[in-house]
Amino acid sequence: MDRANGTGSLGRISSYLPDRIKRVVDRISPAIASRLEELRINAGLPLMGVFGGFDRFIAEDGSFADRPEEAFIVGREEVEELFYRLCEHSVYAYQEDIARGFLTLRGGCRAGICGRVVYQGQTIRGMKDISSVCIRISRELKGCAEEVFPFIRSGRHDIFNTMVISPPRCGKTTILRDLCRIISTGSEKADFAGLRTVIVDERSEIAACWRGVAQNDCGPRTDVLDGCRKHDGIEMALRGMSPAVIVVDELGSRQDAESVKMAWNAGARIVATAHAYDIGDLKERLGFGMLIGKGGFERYVVLGIREGRRWIKVTDAYGNQLYRNDQAPGMHDGILGMHGHRAEAVGAAESQAACAAEA
Amino acid sequence: MCALGKPLNKVFEDLVKGNHGGVWAPVFDRSGSILKEQGLDAGNAWRIALEESAAALPLDHEDLDLLMDFGEMLGKSDREMQQAVLNMEKEKLSAMEQKAKEAAETTGRLYRNLGALLGAAAVILLI
Repeated sequence: MDRANGTGSLGRISSYLPDRIKRVVDRISPAIASRLEELRINAGLPLMGVFGGFDRFIAEDGSFADRPEEAFIVGREEVEELFYRLCEHSVYAYQEDIARGFLTLRGGCRAGICGRVVYQGQTIRGMKDISSVCIRISRELKGCAEEVFPFIRSGRHDIFNTMVISPPRCGKTTILRDLCRIISTGSEKADFAGLRTVIVDERSEIAACWRGVAQNDCGPRTDVLDGCRKHDGIEMALRGMSPAVIVVDELGSRQDAESVKMAWNAGARIVATAHAYDIGDLKERLGFGMLIGKGGFERYVVLGIREGRRWIKVTDAYGNQLYRNDQAPGMHDGILGMHGHRAEAVGAAESQAACAAEA
Repeated sequence: MCALGKPLNKVFEDLVKGNHGGVWAPVFDRSGSILKEQGLDAGNAWRIALEESAAALPLDHEDLDLLMDFGEMLGKSDREMQQAVLNMEKEKLSAMEQKAKEAAETTGRLYRNLGALLGAAAVILLI
């Protein structure tokens, strides 16, 4: 398996950073930098990194600071400069992305932005007075789904309808992306030929298209509908691209569920993700009932974190466990045993508590 | 790809490639390369390119100042605002063009009169 090259991703984002922030980030030791998941840059506030789910303030010398006042403080003009750089000094060219609250960057990283939201009627037209930017480092873990793939394959030319579920920040999209790559490419090891696949990438997180080119490897038989709403995209894909498989991230609404049903009626397989702690939790959510049980999803890949270690399991539609790995490879296991401010509250504990209950 | 989604460096590059630049081609070319390679903002890239090409352009200080101010607005807002900036700039340039035409006409008439006067003087001297 190719381990995600975190420092490589950091290198790609560092060209966007204003000089002072770039100097600080360049000073973070490579071992730590390779674990960086997010860089949070707020005007007038300490520079903060999220490492394996734990947030830490970053001092001017690139080390961790325990207290905000010891950390590097970001200037307002630096946030503005960063925003213009992220937009390639062409705000107009990114205005749809800005209205959605994030920009996809070269290399597949994403920058979430906050500021004053400008409405036109009921629609968000854009954002001004940008006050903070959260750069999410893209991690493409090629091969991380190889272990589970044999359990979702139903023949040399077919797969089961599969749902990947977990609480936030457990790696759903990473697994989904790699499943997509394997389904599209095929796998000699799993005796699988490869299928025509369409990704409906509403939040540009799966393929991470930058100027129309997927920044992540999603396989040679994959077409991407980037920035497209799931229910629109599924219909467009069925009409125009004759996919064998449609891949979508974060199903949530009744409309999404109805679109999935429509795809099934058209003979396409669906590989999707959803936020949920377990299948029972998913069932109770609006619209999902119709996708679960007989005639619904046939395989569930469930992810979680327990005591800082990722786990992964595959079940069939009736809850029978087909596979389990308590030390899922290639995923983060906490930042070198350290604990950050609000860490439990922010990410890990939320996931751990929920996942532990599930496990 | 949607033309409206082109970043400025690509716009400048395409203007030059498509021979739409005319006398401004070196300015567009240089602005695009500064934006792409040096990561400066559009205002600075445009200003540097204009300063470097100023000697070759038939512009006075007032014209250059106006164009540099225009550069400061490039790329810093959404499409509607950029369109408004361009419209405003076009109006300013039209007014300046009109002024230049009037100046050229007045100056031309003056030179024509001077020429006639000098011709008459030469005739008087020769007589």
